[in-house]
Amino acid sequence: MEVLIKLNRLGCAVRLHKGAARRQGLHSASGGKDFPPISRLNVQQATVLWEQQFRQCGVPEPYLSSQYIMAHILGAKTMASLDPVIMTKELTDVQTHQFWELCSKRLARMPVQYVIEEWDFRDLTLKMRPPVFIPRPETEELVGLVLAGFQSRQDSTVPGLRCLELCCGSGAISLSLLHSLPQLSAVAVDRSPEAVNLTQENALRLGLQDRLEVRQLDLTVDRAVLLKECGPVNTLVSNPPYLFSQDMASLEPEILRFEDPAALDGGADGLQIIGQILTLAPHLLKNGGLLYLEVDPRHPPVIQQFVEKEKIGLQYLQTNNDITNRPRYCVLQRRGAED
Amino acid sequence: MSLTGMFFCKTAVRQWVRLNCFKTHGCILQNLRACSSGMSRTDCMGIGRTIKSLHRMLQIRRTLHVTHQAMSTNLLSVEELFRKKSLQQYLKEVETEYRDLLKSVNLPETEQVGEEDMKFKRTRVANLAPLVEQVKNLELKQKEYEETEALLKDEDPEMQELAEIDRNACQEAIQELRQKILSRLIPVEELDESDLVLEVCAGVGGQEAMLFTAEVFDMYQNFAAFQGWLFEVLEYMPSEIGGLRHATASISGPQSYMKMKFEGGVHRVQRVPRTEKQGRMHTSTMTVAILPQPTEITFTINPKDLRIETKRASGAGGQHVNTTDSAVRMVHIPTGVVSECQQERSQLRNREKAMQILRAKLYSLKLEDETSKRYQARKIQIGTKGRSEKIRTYNFSQDRITDHRIGKTLHDVKGFLLGEELLEEMNEALQQFAEQEALMDILKEHTSDD
Repeated sequence: MEVLIKLNRLGCAVRLHKGAARRQGLHSASGGKDFPPISRLNVQQATVLWEQQFRQCGVPEPYLSSQYIMAHILGAKTMASLDPVIMTKELTDVQTHQFWELCSKRLARMPVQYVIEEWDFRDLTLKMRPPVFIPRPETEELVGLVLAGFQSRQDSTVPGLRCLELCCGSGAISLSLLHSLPQLSAVAVDRSPEAVNLTQENALRLGLQDRLEVRQLDLTVDRAVLLKECGPVNTLVSNPPYLFSQDMASLEPEILRFEDPAALDGGADGLQIIGQILTLAPHLLKNGGLLYLEVDPRHPPVIQQFVEKEKIGLQYLQTNNDITNRPRYCVLQRRGAED
Repeated sequence: MSLTGMFFCKTAVRQWVRLNCFKTHGCILQNLRACSSGMSRTDCMGIGRTIKSLHRMLQIRRTLHVTHQAMSTNLLSVEELFRKKSLQQYLKEVETEYRDLLKSVNLPETEQVGEEDMKFKRTRVANLAPLVEQVKNLELKQKEYEETEALLKDEDPEMQELAEIDRNACQEAIQELRQKILSRLIPVEELDESDLVLEVCAGVGGQEAMLFTAEVFDMYQNFAAFQGWLFEVLEYMPSEIGGLRHATASISGPQSYMKMKFEGGVHRVQRVPRTEKQGRMHTSTMTVAILPQPTEITFTINPKDLRIETKRASGAGGQHVNTTDSAVRMVHIPTGVVSECQQERSQLRNREKAMQILRAKLYSLKLEDETSKRYQARKIQIGTKGRSEKIRTYNFSQDRITDHRIGKTLHDVKGFLLGEELLEEMNEALQQFAEQEALMDILKEHTSDD
């Protein structure tokens, strides 16, 4: 009897939460009938129940979503890292409540990374918070490329090694580089205050704040400040917004509803911000310094043509492919008369 | 009774006991030690005739049950080994080789040919030197021993006493030298020093097999902790009720491969499963594979030979998509070998782990090509060939673990599954046996007159 009362209260709590969610614009398109009734379940049953619910409502990756949220509630990253015996354990009231609450967010198409408020990037676990852009796996490779560059040029032994990241988002690139290269210091720049705050927070969580300077600057507006205060550096790296504006509408609701469009939309040809970076780079880089960019597969030939035609003091070195064999990364070098 | 006579009796009794055990329990070598110590007190000659006929039966049985052949090659003592002509002959050969090499290495530089060749010869000389030294010492000690033998017949009692003391000292020294020589003769496996990838897979028996697979995987995780090795899960595919379908882990640490290599094969469990409602006993299996992990230098894969599959391969990728599916599947196109990892939230980490598994798989394929001929006849099989062989039974109702390769039985299944002293004990027995097999192989290569 007591259990029933508790469960009913729990149900109320969730209904209340639904109201709150709707007020925040979190409700799913199909309305309020999507919530499976709360009942006392074990880990396995609850995970399967929500997986089915996600599937019925057309939420992408229903299995993984349910698994990741449950793992998070149980204090782990993945279900596989937990003792298998846990699958048959009954959830506590608090856990049930929490699971229902988080799953209902996912049902409203919130990305899992925002639901559990964290995700892994290379060796780091980063805090994630809407609307700051969620780093994609392609960017993990971009960092690998930068690190390999440092190694092959034996830059890593040079004292006073500095790197600048433009459009830092959650800080994934800068923090990974700092984590891998103890003698490196970095400046991370983003136009969004949310992104700047999150990068700062992640740096603190990882104990890297002493070597990272985070600045809220807009590439198009604050050019003078940027040039005066952020250069010169050995390496410039960026994963700038590179989507073509016309592609924005076709994005999944997870991206469209929750991620900052300014972190994605690169204008009509996706080159708006990339162009800004290309013209800034020669003035921010030391002579011989490298610029690494993550771009749309249609961009590399356009960028190469641009720097070769405009002679802005950058030399196009190479295009690298991502794991799926698409041309995704551009490497350029500053070649100028004066230093 | 002469020494050889005694020796014959001892083996005959052992065989008799083994055969009896086999008849009654269906298992050879069970409680061998206890039985044979009891038997040796009885008059050996009395059972001589029975032994003869039993011996013949045993031979017949051997031809019938090839898999039980292991039981006929018992562990030999050091004396028994040194009594082998082949060993003596092999030692002589080593000495001759050493002398020849020494000559060519000490040639004046002008007469030396081939830089590489000389380098090889020099390392070989350096490797053989301690062995040859010990063999020489052994010969000296043996001569000394013979001399004291003569002194024992001296009429002076004091002299006799001294000779007795000398003789004992000699005997001890001889024993010690022999032990050292043997341990030098056992070939060092290059791989023994490498790290490894452990792969477990549920076999016959449905959910029960998966539950057992989870227990065995835990056992190795504990064993790694017990040994002070690093244990990292690469892949883990659980079943619905807490069992394990398939998992891989990377294990690294001193002697990890040397010890773990004996665990590869089919493990069988006999018990009343948790899932069984009528209390019936089930027999289920799971498979363990131990793959040595090659270093970057010893084994490289051409990136062009790889096909990497991810969820992101379809569609635009990059900023266009946000997925949590970071699974990576790798196919080595020339061989068709596949590896997968979805253990991590980072795709890059999954890729690294999948690569690690793939490298280990390809490396063992390559090694098997090289070594399959060499080890075909051995009872303890390492690599894929051994994977299909039933190596061990965990019987819960009798609370015993029997390793079928060496016929050794231990008790306390729960304790064994903790992956501590009991597993270590079994492992040491396997290692001893394997070492002797390796030694026998070398001797066989050099002579056939034993």
